[in-house]
Amino acid sequence: MTIKQLSLNQRLLLAVSLVLTAFLGLSAFSLNNAFQASADSAQRKQIQNYMYSILIAAKFDDSGFVAMPNDIAEPKFAVPNSGLYAQITSSKDIIWQSKSMLGLSIPLPDYPGATNEHFSTIWLNDNISMLNLAYGIVWENEQGEQFHYTLNIAEDLDIIVQQKAEFQMSLWQWLGGTGLILLIAQAFILRWSLRPLHDVAIDLQAIKTGDRNRLPSDYPKELNQITENINTLLSHEESRRDRYKNSLADLAHSLKTPLAVFRGELENSADLTGLKKLGHEQIDRISDLVNYQLQRASTEGQSSFLAPVSLANIINKILSSLDKVYKAKNIHQQCEIEHDIYIHADEGDMYELLGNLLENAYKYCNSKVTVFMTLQLNLVEIHIDDDGNGIPPHAREDILKRGKRIDTQIEGQGLGLAIASDIITAYQGEIKLENSHLGGAKFIIQIPKY
Amino acid sequence: MRILLVEDEIHLREQITEQLKKQHLTVDSAADGEEGLYLGTEYPYDVAIIDLGLPKLSGIELIQQLRSIGKDFPIIILTARGRWQDKVEGLESGADDYLVKPFHIEELLARINALARRASGWSSSTLQCGPISLNPSSQEVANNGDIVDLTAYEYRLLHYLMLNAGNVLSKTELTDHIYQQDHDRDSNVIEVFIKRLRNKLDPDKSLNPIETLRGRGYRLTLPRDN
Repeated sequence: MTIKQLSLNQRLLLAVSLVLTAFLGLSAFSLNNAFQASADSAQRKQIQNYMYSILIAAKFDDSGFVAMPNDIAEPKFAVPNSGLYAQITSSKDIIWQSKSMLGLSIPLPDYPGATNEHFSTIWLNDNISMLNLAYGIVWENEQGEQFHYTLNIAEDLDIIVQQKAEFQMSLWQWLGGTGLILLIAQAFILRWSLRPLHDVAIDLQAIKTGDRNRLPSDYPKELNQITENINTLLSHEESRRDRYKNSLADLAHSLKTPLAVFRGELENSADLTGLKKLGHEQIDRISDLVNYQLQRASTEGQSSFLAPVSLANIINKILSSLDKVYKAKNIHQQCEIEHDIYIHADEGDMYELLGNLLENAYKYCNSKVTVFMTLQLNLVEIHIDDDGNGIPPHAREDILKRGKRIDTQIEGQGLGLAIASDIITAYQGEIKLENSHLGGAKFIIQIPKY
Repeated sequence: MRILLVEDEIHLREQITEQLKKQHLTVDSAADGEEGLYLGTEYPYDVAIIDLGLPKLSGIELIQQLRSIGKDFPIIILTARGRWQDKVEGLESGADDYLVKPFHIEELLARINALARRASGWSSSTLQCGPISLNPSSQEVANNGDIVDLTAYEYRLLHYLMLNAGNVLSKTELTDHIYQQDHDRDSNVIEVFIKRLRNKLDPDKSLNPIETLRGRGYRLTLPRDN
């Protein structure tokens, strides 16, 4: 299993475990270091205290001799091999040794200089380490004679090593226990937080099997955004499916009329010229029907899932195409677009809508076509004017709604405007036909922009 | 006029070819984009008719390649779906006009004639040079209103001369534009046709409509009446 295949749960658990381990490890490391440092400095302080107590107890006489009472404050000095040792030397001569040092020969450091303290680690028999403090003492007698001594105090490190081991042991136990509890808690939290995802999967499965139409809306806020989008997509797909179904049914139904007409004529008529003419008419009609229903079926309709398309771009492309095709007509075209407008629509739908309307203007104008586009609040408004003969008010409704009655009516004009009108409806927009200031027809289309 | 037709649907290709030939047009046809590109590159055409959905090389690609090598003859695209996006794409790639299938052959002929006229600088649908007029849709030739009876090749030759009235046209050029690619060519035939045209158009030798420029070719000298 690669990393990509890990479930969300596994990912979170894996990440949290790694972070937790690293965190606990680092804590243990730093706590251990801090403990060691404080233990070391405590031992040093302790040794310094021994040193002061020995200095207080020691009596120096004028000849440089040192007298030491038998009961020094720290009883461990009196017990042989106790692990705490003291010794005073002058040059190489041992002036005094604690009783604990009886029979032991420890290589102690030399004079560190007057009133200097020097800590070092020394080894006894190569396996016992000790912390040693060497202190330089200067004794001046009444005659002004100076005597130099070295006071060495060594303490076995065994004790401290043992303390550290105990500390580490309990440290690991605590940290390990905490880590384990955190991991278990984390696992429960994960299960609880990811539960809605699991629910979505179940609900989606229910949609698949037909037990549900839409996802419910009681998911946590973060998921609701997704599930609402899924619901919108489902609605969009559903309405598209309906459109497909309807236009397919309409197509099948409407094809029957021209076919029936032609068949009837084939059976009854002996007039070949008339038959040919009728055949042509019916073929044109069938071709129109196919085009119209195909366009209706493929109309996407408004959906925020469609990438935004630039209307200015589409209008300009269509205009330059039409300029080419209608070159001979010498049309003076004027296009006023203040700002480009992007809407969430199918590019093909927009091409079809604007292409049909613009071509209509080019076809029926005398010499002038103007296009104007503006955005008012959330409404895209496009005006297309021409200076042709215009469309009389009583025919306007028919021209835009022709598609609805196509199987019962044949007119000279193509289906372009009916198709445009259908697309507008699919985008919840409006199309209006008015008189143009240029003298011809003025088409106004309004499309809501989401 | 010589036409290139690129259409993969065999019945439609044959029908269009036949109909165009009936109208005294010279037609070469190709069944796919690559063949179309070969013909378009090799021969001089006056108008090309190109279907958008072609095998091997799409109609759009074919048009783009023809334009990129400097071929500037007018192109009409044929589209089955009639989607505006396709039409715009075709026109943007270099086509000049479009027709949505199924179409009437008269419509195609009108577009061919209009484009050929436009390309050679004519604006009216009937070509009129001095007293001689030629109507490409009815294929009638008249001298001062009297119908002149021409054979197919004579008509083709006159049509091409009139389209390019005022320009010198070499024998090869004339042959190229009135014969199909697989036709057995003999440029001497042009001389014969020219002679016959002169006799038919100018029986009393007063008009002298076609000038011979030795070593260069022929020119229709009558002024265009646009």
